[in-house]
Amino acid sequence: MSATVARIPDNRQPTIPDAAPERRPPWGDVGFWVLAILFATILLLPLYVLFKVSVSTLAEATAPRPSYLPREITWANWGRLLNWDIIGDPLRHSLIVAFSTAIVAVLIAAPAAYVISRLPRGTRYFIVLGLLLTRMFPEVIIATPIAANFFSWGLNDTNVGLALAHLIRALPLVTWVLVGTFEVIPRDLEEASAVDGSGRVGTLLRVVLPLAAPGIAVAAIFAWLDSWNDLLYAIYLFLTERTLPLITYYYANRGTVTDVATFSIILTIPVLLLTLFLQRWIRSGYLSGAVKG
Amino acid sequence: MARDGSAVGVLVASDRAVVPPTPTFGQPAGLQRWLARYWLDIVLVTPLFLYVFFFMLVPVVQSIYLSFTLEGAGQPTFDNYRTVINRSQFRDAFVNTLGISIIGVTMEMTVGIIIALMLARAFRGRGLFRSIVLVPLGVPTIVAGAAMLYFIGFNGYLNEILLDLGIIDVPIYWQQSGLRGMFAIALADLWKTTPLVVLILLAGLESIPGDVYEAASVDGADGWRRFWDHTIPLLMPSITMALILRVIDAFRIFDIALVLAGQAIPVMSSFVYFDYQAGSINTAAAAAVILLLMILVFVVAYLLLVARRTEDVR
Repeated sequence: MSATVARIPDNRQPTIPDAAPERRPPWGDVGFWVLAILFATILLLPLYVLFKVSVSTLAEATAPRPSYLPREITWANWGRLLNWDIIGDPLRHSLIVAFSTAIVAVLIAAPAAYVISRLPRGTRYFIVLGLLLTRMFPEVIIATPIAANFFSWGLNDTNVGLALAHLIRALPLVTWVLVGTFEVIPRDLEEASAVDGSGRVGTLLRVVLPLAAPGIAVAAIFAWLDSWNDLLYAIYLFLTERTLPLITYYYANRGTVTDVATFSIILTIPVLLLTLFLQRWIRSGYLSGAVKG
Repeated sequence: MARDGSAVGVLVASDRAVVPPTPTFGQPAGLQRWLARYWLDIVLVTPLFLYVFFFMLVPVVQSIYLSFTLEGAGQPTFDNYRTVINRSQFRDAFVNTLGISIIGVTMEMTVGIIIALMLARAFRGRGLFRSIVLVPLGVPTIVAGAAMLYFIGFNGYLNEILLDLGIIDVPIYWQQSGLRGMFAIALADLWKTTPLVVLILLAGLESIPGDVYEAASVDGADGWRRFWDHTIPLLMPSITMALILRVIDAFRIFDIALVLAGQAIPVMSSFVYFDYQAGSINTAAAAAVILLLMILVFVVAYLLLVARRTEDVR
């Protein structure tokens, strides 16, 4: 055995037979892979179907027995809907609102999260838990009076109004992520900077902020995604204007199946790319921190 | 005088939980010192707390107020609640919301635990599988609902798959009220929220020492017993968090139900929206308050039950 190890530098070779009996999954290796492939297929199937319908002719998409593979590929739906007259205004609203929400959320939440992260453990836990508990409020209980107020203030159908509404969901989320980010920045660095003669504001801007930048970026993207995906506040506040989720909804109600699928894919592409890019950061860390308190 | 001063001093010193020491009235010098020391912290947290107060807490109170008044204000009344509860649409919404939550969260927790256990194991292609599991996280909720339209429609893929597998002979009409409709909506919700449940449970599994071995060695009766006796209790904090988050969100379900079934299968949130849209903001508020109560009752009941069971174990 040891001779084999010495002769073959690839250390995977000898460990496979050794480790195999120990690592038997619940249903055996074959069962494991069948299950993994089954789950992977089910998880990807809805997106595949949306894409398939978006490149199908209307006749094919409404046929009695749907086919798994496209019989005939057409880009006509994409060509018709990627038209500035249809998609321009909703896209503009969605982009402006999402970016404003992300930026303002960070501007409001980051300073507060810094202070909260420097509080003693008990108080900090209490505040973060309180912010998370705001999730217990059904959104409609907030949206109903907010919509009524915004109408009387003339904020309906405006980007400002919608961004203000999206902050309601974004702020607790961003604060939560940023408290976790600031917590791990050692206080010694701030004290060292203070000894060097920087004021507190200077220390914050020159020492703490650059170290927190990656976390702030991740939190901003979370807020951006949340705003980009939102239907609830948009449907309450936008009566004549449209955002991308809103036109997807209206097409789902009244449009053709191919148009719905095409809009869905258009709406999904940026979100999917950002999420897959973010997956390194959407790991257990934030969540396990919350579970353990 | 001296006794007063020392009493205040003791109070402040012993109250360690409050970190910026509370300013004591009648001591302007103390208040000034406190402000001089903490002014920056106060300036930094104020915007967040103002926002949470005015855009979250005030609207909730406004809704509660609206729910107890009739149009044009006046005496507090239960009329809105009476009106709402007597409507069959509301009773449907109530039952549907509970049904979707029970069916959906049961499926989500089951699938979530299975996938989390799979991901806790080291295998070739784990990174790819993890990315695929996260895909629904990167799909807007409304798109998850829209995608499900192509599955649960009469000519949809769910029927097609069941027909091809020979499970059914005649296509099923899924988009109707009752159990089928609830199941269809729960299915869309399952697809969309599985990644979140998996991430929370995986975080829990990874914090259990030796969990990779644990997850991998769950085979045979012995392995299953260890899974129930060892892994599940250690995983309990994560399960509690996933369950509470998921039930709260399932109670609040809106986008998916609206896109899939609209008024045909009302849920609590969509009922509130349709009522608001129809111009009766007071009954909409009443329904929203009932939804808040449903969530509060669940969370409190669950925490009490779990806390009591944990105490029994001790």
